[in-house]
Amino acid sequence: MKWMPTCRETTELASRALDARLSFADRIALRLHLAICDNCARFNQQIQDMRRFFRAETADDTMPGLADDARQRIETELQKKLGS
Amino acid sequence: MTELDPHAWLAEHGDYLFRVARRQLHSDELAEDAVQETLLAALSARARYTGDASPRTWLTGILKHKIVDLIRRQARDVELPRDQDGEEAVDLLFKQDGHWAEPLRPWGNPHTEAELSQLRRVLDECADRLKPVMAQVFSLREVAGLETEEICKELDITPTNCWVLLHRARLFMRQCLELNGFTQAGAA
Repeated sequence: MKWMPTCRETTELASRALDARLSFADRIALRLHLAICDNCARFNQQIQDMRRFFRAETADDTMPGLADDARQRIETELQKKLGS
Repeated sequence: MTELDPHAWLAEHGDYLFRVARRQLHSDELAEDAVQETLLAALSARARYTGDASPRTWLTGILKHKIVDLIRRQARDVELPRDQDGEEAVDLLFKQDGHWAEPLRPWGNPHTEAELSQLRRVLDECADRLKPVMAQVFSLREVAGLETEEICKELDITPTNCWVLLHRARLFMRQCLELNGFTQAGAA
């Protein structure tokens, strides 16, 4: 990678940094670009926020729960197994 | 030690387990399957329950394995991603010289329970709209928290392929959130 990555390349680095350890050169390139580019700095912050939101709470009471027919079906299977 | 009462599982934990599964599987039917398989497996394994964890935590642990099983089984039916999948869509986000085509808008900062709940709803809707393989990789990584190596093994893809899919998924998720009004000015 060139000494200064483009925005597109920077988003690749920022994304990969959440999944793996970047090489020294890539870490420097990422940091350099983020320091001078508001859009990419925002992207970097937002993908981290997204991860935080997703992992913060695995379930939310306002989401729909089990449908009645599915509940009935599962109940039947459980009873079958409990009875056997 | 806490006693397990299988007769109460569905009533007390059914909705909770379904919601956890629904977020990761992006399908009502698969999430229902996951709940059923979890409760049946729990029934067989109930002798091994030590009472160290609450019944809900114990059931959720079993559910996590079932979710990964289901994603793995589903992955066999889905065509493997080709490198160019989604590339045109990424091209639209950037100019030819690699700069952003549009400036990124800042997100609102949700605080109240209603704002957070709205955010989670939009996040889930956006994740549902990702292409199947991308959605699986994204969920395994960002919701289930699996390491990239485990995901590669589960889905039989290379680490590079995995990073490409995650990069595209994050670009689309971010854009989807912005299009759905989750920005500072228009935050719900």
